[in-house]
Amino acid sequence: MFQNRAEALALALPAAIFAAAVFLVPVVILLSDGFRAPTGGWTISAYTDFFSNSLNQTVFLRTLRLSALVTVASAVIGYAAAFAIVSLEPGAKGKVTGLVVLPLMISPVARTYAWIVILGRTGIVNQAFQALGITEAPLRILFSETAIFIGLLQLFLPLMIISLISALENMPKDAIPAARVLGANWFQVFWKVVLPLTKEGLVIGGTLVFTGSLTAYITPAILGGSKVLMLETLLYQQVAVSNNFVAASVIAFILIVMSFAANILLKRVATARNKQRSQA
Amino acid sequence: MTARSLFIPITLLLVIAFLIGPFLIIVAASFSAGETLAFPPQGFSLRWIAKVFTVESFRASFGMSLFLAIGGTAAALVLGIPASYALSRYKLPGAEIVRTIVSAPIIVPGIIVGLALLRYIVVPFQVGITLALFLAHTALVLPYAVRVVSASLDNLRSDIEEAAVLLGSSRLGAFFRVVMPNIRGGIMSAFILGFVTSFNQVPVSLFLSGPGVRTLPVDMIAYMEIVFDPSVAALSSLLAFLSIGIVFIAERFLGFSRYV
Amino acid sequence: MSDASYLSLEKLTLAYGDSVAVANLDLDIRKGELIALLGPSGCGKTTTMRAIAGLLAVKSGHVRLDGADITRMPANKRAVGLMFQSYALFPHLSVYENVAFGLKLKGMRGTELETKVQSGLKSVGLSTFANRKPAELSGGQQQRVALARSMVMEPKVLLLDEPLSNLDARLRLEMRTELQRVQKETGVTMIFVTHDQAEALALADRIVVMKSGKIEQIGSPEDIYNRPTSSFVADFVGFENIFPLENGKMKTSAGLIDLSGKAPSAAGLAWRPRMVTLGTGPFQGTVRGTSFAGDAREYLLDTALGPIKAEVEASQPPHALGAGLTFDLPAEKAAPLSRFV
Repeated sequence: MFQNRAEALALALPAAIFAAAVFLVPVVILLSDGFRAPTGGWTISAYTDFFSNSLNQTVFLRTLRLSALVTVASAVIGYAAAFAIVSLEPGAKGKVTGLVVLPLMISPVARTYAWIVILGRTGIVNQAFQALGITEAPLRILFSETAIFIGLLQLFLPLMIISLISALENMPKDAIPAARVLGANWFQVFWKVVLPLTKEGLVIGGTLVFTGSLTAYITPAILGGSKVLMLETLLYQQVAVSNNFVAASVIAFILIVMSFAANILLKRVATARNKQRSQA
Repeated sequence: MTARSLFIPITLLLVIAFLIGPFLIIVAASFSAGETLAFPPQGFSLRWIAKVFTVESFRASFGMSLFLAIGGTAAALVLGIPASYALSRYKLPGAEIVRTIVSAPIIVPGIIVGLALLRYIVVPFQVGITLALFLAHTALVLPYAVRVVSASLDNLRSDIEEAAVLLGSSRLGAFFRVVMPNIRGGIMSAFILGFVTSFNQVPVSLFLSGPGVRTLPVDMIAYMEIVFDPSVAALSSLLAFLSIGIVFIAERFLGFSRYV
Repeated sequence: MSDASYLSLEKLTLAYGDSVAVANLDLDIRKGELIALLGPSGCGKTTTMRAIAGLLAVKSGHVRLDGADITRMPANKRAVGLMFQSYALFPHLSVYENVAFGLKLKGMRGTELETKVQSGLKSVGLSTFANRKPAELSGGQQQRVALARSMVMEPKVLLLDEPLSNLDARLRLEMRTELQRVQKETGVTMIFVTHDQAEALALADRIVVMKSGKIEQIGSPEDIYNRPTSSFVADFVGFENIFPLENGKMKTSAGLIDLSGKAPSAAGLAWRPRMVTLGTGPFQGTVRGTSFAGDAREYLLDTALGPIKAEVEASQPPHALGAGLTFDLPAEKAAPLSRFV
């Protein structure tokens, strides 16, 4: 550890000043816009206005609902997938994990675009449904909450699976057999042993998926269209269509507060866990 | 017992089909001979792959995205390597504040960063869109650069620098002679991670577009809103293979996944 | 400069931020001497070594080497070598390039460089390993590369940080011999830092025992081993029965006690377990613990004086746990301590 303060500052300050000037200061000013009264002074009237509008309420609740649903769904599927993957032989495990990670390398635009082919009026799903006689006319799946849900789930599921794989691998090897020997059924094994021991991974994955869904732009823009909005696409519309920068600032603030809250929760749980360990 | 032994392959099959399937469909659709995007593809042709290269706006926006991904990541490393070094080797006053500031752009949604930059840098200071995009992408990649480079610095013993100094090297010389060669893998990995992140980034660049100045993914979204032909599918496939190829090579030669 | 002060530390004070690690330290080292800085962790021995190397800024006082004041001289100009505890080899460079590193910085090139590096490698018996990377060598081999890397620079002083601590018993002896040979052949002044008294006794010409940033005692290995001057040093080199003296009487938990024989005038007395006479004497004890150590048998006695450790030849008949024993602490055998802390 070197002691020279001047040297340390000279090395660290350019990056810090750059990030502050290009990012921090403009964002803080932007966020303050929503609290500025037109006559000078400060007010929260922009926020009461925003939440009294029923369209905004719908979008806000939809964003929360979809983010929560995607998080829960990815946790359920994620556990099943992570279980299956960690029980594979080492060679196969690496290959399958690679396949799970692969989509993360592909542009989200490309990944989301694929769903148009699948969910569109003449897409695979509608073709299959009609061929099987389930429906007569093509269903309207695209530009709906369902489409956004599917798109977000596909986008963020890999993050959850990876978090859970490492959590499951860090779990003591004998925990499950020990619980089985003590007479627990599989449901009890999951609920009383696996879940508490992988809580940290679940929280990390959950936070990534939740904040990712909350702040996703591409998926709702492509799969939700201009009618089924989420907060990010609403923000875009407020700026690009309505030129309403105050509303944009309000939405930005809400998004940041919600993702910070999720991040703080993550840190809390992670440090609570570390404390337990260091006390043990 | 049969139920359990079937559980693993079925689960994996479904999950991988869900994650990879859409991508395969896009690849198949890009070889279609038909006029509109459809699956199964109507016939086989390379016309849409060929068309991608003839669309003028794709060529321009590809160039822009490439410039931002390479230039922005390089700039982020130029800023990030010294900062990481200070954070890992020095008793830096306010180290946590510095760490928070440089890694904040990762937490704040990109669309907000882009809008803030537009409103409070581009407009008041008359900054050109290209420069603004460059600044935005640099800020966006900076957290990744600092994280990956810090991790490889933390894995490197710091006493080799003292050893180099005692053998007659200056402090700066010690950095270039014994630190840089040993964190090269980390720097390359940071570069690739930054490149892919920057190249695929959309929200930051949404508001930062002007006449003829657009990043490729934003351009693709704009194009698909107007034209419903398989050229976007073809372009998506090409880009996907490009990034998979880069990451695959990086993994092969650098052990990329150790760093990220 | 006299020969007795080739390297001298004058009123050296060293600090990390506000916490002082070494205070007002004075030490003169002769040219060609092999010095051990001995003490428990936190005693300031490593801090002192780093200050000599120039890796730590001196708060006050002076460091003089070969007639020049080097207190403020940058580390890379000092001609001081340091063999790190971790060896600190450059992982990306081959053995050859590691040894050549400093010579190249001096501007040495071509056959001169080649010859010098090869002879350096030869002197530590690693000529055939020139093209290996450090990671492909054993710990002992890595350490010899580190030694060669420092020695080819022909340093005025070679500092060694816990040179034997990472080695197993067999390699330890080998390395100890190696260091003594290098020292004899080159005549380099060596200072090594250790917390292991056996290492210091076996290797050093002179031992500097440190405690809490101050020198506790300086002396030859015989001095330190047989004639510790303070209770701290006595304890550190294995005098396990230590008592303060008051007016020629031993101060114990049972009050002031007369000794058999004439007590010297000192602040305290110390006995090794070997020096305790078992079977006769004015004191009574009960055997609370016993252990067999091959050629000797150790006893832990519960006595009115407090716990006493005794050691006798293994050929003597053993005493059972709980047995009552008489014993003596003969004053004439004790090491007199001038300081009791």
